[in-house]
Amino acid sequence: MRVGIEIGGTFTDLVAAGPNGLTITKVPSVPARPDEGVFDALDRAGIACEAMVELAHGSTVATNAVLERKGARLAFLVTAGFGDVLTIQRLERRRIFDLLYRKPVPLVARKDAFEIPERTLFDGSIAEPLDTGRIRASLEAFLAAGDYGSVAICLLNSFANPDHERRLAELIRDVDPSLDVTCSYDISREYREYERATTTTMAAYVQPVIAAYLARMESVLASRGFAGNLSIMQSNGARMPAAAMRRNAVTALLSGPAAGVTGAVRQAGLSGIRNLVTLDIGGTSADVCLVVDGKPQLSQEAKIDGLPIRTPMVDIATVGAGGGSLVWADDGGMMRVGPQSAGANPGPACYGRGGTQPTLTDAHVLCGRLRPEARLAGSMQLDVEASRRVFAPIAERFGLEPAAAADSAVQIAIANVVAAIRQVSTERGRDTRDFTLVPFGGAGPLHAAAVAEALHIATVLVPPNAGVISAYGLLVSDHSLFESLTRPIPLDEAAPDRVRDTLGGLRTELAKRIEELGVPGDRLFEMSLDMRFKGQAFEITVPLAEADVPELTRERLLALFAREHEAIYSHGGGVGRNAVEIVSYRVGLHVPQLDRLSMSSSGAETSAEGSCEVFDRGERLDARLLWRGSLRAGQSVQGPAVIEDTTATIWIPKGWRGEIDGHQNLIMRAAA
Amino acid sequence: MSTISPVDYAVISQAFLSAAREMGAKLCRAAYSSIVREAKDASTGILNARGEAVAQSDELIPILVGSLSIAFRHCAAACPVEELVEGDFYITNNPYQGGHHLNDVFIFVPIFVDGRLLGFSAAVAHQLDVGGSSTLSNIASDVYQEGLTIPAARYSIARDWNGGPLEKLIAANIRVPDQTIGDINSQFAACRTGVSRVVDLCAKYGTAKILQVMDEMLDYSERRVRTAIAAIPDGTYRAEDTLDDDGVTGHPLTVQVAVTVAGDTMEIDYAGTADQAKSGLNSPFASTVSATLTAIKDIVTGSDVPYNEGTFRPITIKAPLGSFLNPRHPAPVAARMEPIYRAFDSILMALGQAIPERVIACGYDSTYLTSLSILESGGYQVFIEVHGGGWGASAEGDGADGIAQPLSNCTNVPVEMTDMGYDYFRIEEYSLVPDSGGAGRHRGGHGTKRAFRILKDGVRFSIYADRFERPAAGIRGGGSGSPAGCEVVRGNERIPYRSMGSDVLRKGDLLVVRTGGGGGYGAA
Repeated sequence: MRVGIEIGGTFTDLVAAGPNGLTITKVPSVPARPDEGVFDALDRAGIACEAMVELAHGSTVATNAVLERKGARLAFLVTAGFGDVLTIQRLERRRIFDLLYRKPVPLVARKDAFEIPERTLFDGSIAEPLDTGRIRASLEAFLAAGDYGSVAICLLNSFANPDHERRLAELIRDVDPSLDVTCSYDISREYREYERATTTTMAAYVQPVIAAYLARMESVLASRGFAGNLSIMQSNGARMPAAAMRRNAVTALLSGPAAGVTGAVRQAGLSGIRNLVTLDIGGTSADVCLVVDGKPQLSQEAKIDGLPIRTPMVDIATVGAGGGSLVWADDGGMMRVGPQSAGANPGPACYGRGGTQPTLTDAHVLCGRLRPEARLAGSMQLDVEASRRVFAPIAERFGLEPAAAADSAVQIAIANVVAAIRQVSTERGRDTRDFTLVPFGGAGPLHAAAVAEALHIATVLVPPNAGVISAYGLLVSDHSLFESLTRPIPLDEAAPDRVRDTLGGLRTELAKRIEELGVPGDRLFEMSLDMRFKGQAFEITVPLAEADVPELTRERLLALFAREHEAIYSHGGGVGRNAVEIVSYRVGLHVPQLDRLSMSSSGAETSAEGSCEVFDRGERLDARLLWRGSLRAGQSVQGPAVIEDTTATIWIPKGWRGEIDGHQNLIMRAAA
Repeated sequence: MSTISPVDYAVISQAFLSAAREMGAKLCRAAYSSIVREAKDASTGILNARGEAVAQSDELIPILVGSLSIAFRHCAAACPVEELVEGDFYITNNPYQGGHHLNDVFIFVPIFVDGRLLGFSAAVAHQLDVGGSSTLSNIASDVYQEGLTIPAARYSIARDWNGGPLEKLIAANIRVPDQTIGDINSQFAACRTGVSRVVDLCAKYGTAKILQVMDEMLDYSERRVRTAIAAIPDGTYRAEDTLDDDGVTGHPLTVQVAVTVAGDTMEIDYAGTADQAKSGLNSPFASTVSATLTAIKDIVTGSDVPYNEGTFRPITIKAPLGSFLNPRHPAPVAARMEPIYRAFDSILMALGQAIPERVIACGYDSTYLTSLSILESGGYQVFIEVHGGGWGASAEGDGADGIAQPLSNCTNVPVEMTDMGYDYFRIEEYSLVPDSGGAGRHRGGHGTKRAFRILKDGVRFSIYADRFERPAAGIRGGGSGSPAGCEVVRGNERIPYRSMGSDVLRKGDLLVVRTGGGGGYGAA
């Protein structure tokens, strides 16, 4: 039995693959003790721990430790003159018209920073040597006074030469062996001191939280006879054995949305679809991601609580349009949806937990797409009257029937989602017309067809059990490790050899690490160079194919740079006239998950069919009502139709047709 | 709203705003100029057939808020819109025809649907170079020395651009023609995106509905601004703020403002403001308007209200012709940021009397720009930076320490990047200036200190900044922030600099740049 368990804010989802097919379970999360949700889900699914060969796990433990500021008490060691680096940051404001703007709060207070007289230069040479004898006494006093749990060290230019960081770490171990020490060189080897320092503090901060969490879980698992592999989801959409998190846990931050993208990519891949836009609509937000040729777009940096972390991360755009998003009228008389949300508690009015403001979920209830009996979100009957009641004031405000006001709210939410997708696609030079939209999350498939229409996307693929696609994503994800290194060189005749050497070194290092972690399987490397015109502030990531490396020439590197520059900026930027340099090197190591496990529908074996009345885009329609579990491959459904799945509801509008393909994916297309 | 449904209005108006943003994203992504790409010194938008901005990408840089309509009016005056045909465009960078400084080049492309002029797609971007005597030309004594003026006029893309005579004329007058022409081409590309978005919307919803939404967007913004102004107590609120140094004689320059709130309207009158300066410390009227609107957006409406021509209807902005907030041709204008920060702060102080709970203390609120350059056999190397200062404190809390100033949003350059890129200096310290934020119940944000060790002889240093003598004021009994400063430590000698000037440095010098703190809020 292989099991994937994803802990979300509200629900803990389980997908298990065994000899008898898939098991799918959803239980409420236990926010205060998230690991309990894992065992609740296992118990509910009736899975014995000794039967599991593999448990793949995604959780918000690391993310919450940062958001709730419940990590280690940190000391921060930094080159003298730069003790304010975590506070000064990069100067920019993220909301430019906000007079009350506050900067993101660093994980270390200024008084917990200690300046070290030393200076390494960008080429690794030493301008001012570190004299550990000279600082020992004052450092000892500083550490003794602070009641610290961990020490984060980030010295200027340490990516070029880790000697001073290493010697400081040794000194601290000598002074106080009880302290955990994290050096920036072991976390991020890229230049830009603020981002590297923050990433280092982030790793040190969440380390004890993750370690304690995993230790607790492993001990319960062991006591229950688990002898399989435990792996943890990363924000890059792949996983790693739990042991890897003990070295660097920053990759576990923000892993939740990534698992869903991976699940969507794999399930759509079964149907041969490799270019897709994923659309995950849950309770509070809609997350969208662009996937090109089966690979989710990665960004090299993301922010958590406003603080940057330098690690490759699935590039997800978020808009406040989820089931709990509030519907309201602004003081100019425009109807708005979100970004404020009713959250998990009280949630939408129809949940009957005291929600008094209209939400997007209430809008769908009033429009008739969500039936009271649909038992969303864990078995409660939906209160239609409550939805109608909370929609009455806004309906009156606009002179509309409640259902028409609800219909307007749904269309506005859809427009917000469309704008978010444009942000990750057309605004970055990608035309999505040839892409397939893959909706998931409980509410994604309710909105997908209209979103696709607005973006001129012809095909929508709805995976089976779209509400638990994240847990499925855990099971089918690869194992991946990434490493990068700043080592600036001019792009001259000597460059190809140096590129081969540096990339070779990183490959060897990653291969060794994955060997030590005991991950079996093929090793696939992915390589790229960060290049720029000399003097530019930003680099462009230029992918290198495996076949490129042995025959690399200066001209070839220049051509690859020009091609990428053209793709991003729509001009070559003067390649040939202006000097180019290589700044950083990136290598990813992937161990593919070869088992092509397929997601499937569950529940409702009835072939019964009903009907319902749906208000959609100003029209009252008689829609068919079907159960996803009863649809067979090749079966086609003409819209308007509502299809209920165990964990999601699908809406096929009038003029659209859906058909189940050979992989249980529902393919929706507008009639020509 | 009587005939347009709430969903059509919400969806179509959002589509206009998202088209304006998409144009901006496209322009910033494709730009050669790092000030466009990184500081987002650009703006894009859609105008109606009367030239009123309907949707503008104001989230790029505050200093270009509301700037499109003003420049447009001068273009339409030069060539009436009725004479335009498909393939025409307007262009201008003239500070005396609704432009900002010469680097900001405006392009307007007409949008025709079924042969009918529906509106304009517009883009303005800060160009790397527009010719002239110097790139840091606060020493220019007239606008001619600052570069090439392109007067507002109509041209044809096919005839005059793409290798045509206008493109050749511009290219021949600037130092980096490839980049500048390339960036203007990015502006055209952004405008094409805007045109095609509007044409698509007309195809989907019908031209009549689109025109109706465009009108309603102006009314909508107007209503929201009126609602916000109506919440401010009626009255006339006066304030003044003073620039340290006019850049030539060393005399200060004072901004006077009277903000009059009457019901749901507001008048901002800069009567009494000092006469124009002989240096580039003059703000063209369009820049004064943008700074004023930014202050109103910050204080009165918040960023949720989309700024467009409707925003102006309840707001009147006046500045006496010949003052340094509305200079007469041919006064130089390159250093306009300093005067408009004083205008911005004067409004902060004036409205602070009306709605103290919503206004913050003045921050450092200046552009502190330094340049370190060296001429060696390999050519010129130049390192230009805009430094952050302290933010004003508020009723809610302390002002932010070391942050980009309110009319711009520039990031700093990582120290590791300067180590890698420049061998004639090394940054030895980058810190907050202790206790530089004004005291108070909530303290002002601290200024920053950056110390550069000069590693070669003959490094030229230039500076333009403000608030070396007159620091940021506190509010409701809060203390002032510390003033900014600049000095060179040479052996045992300390050589202080004024806020405007330049010098040649020696190997071993330590150049210390200190920005000011923000004002405090409330008595301590």
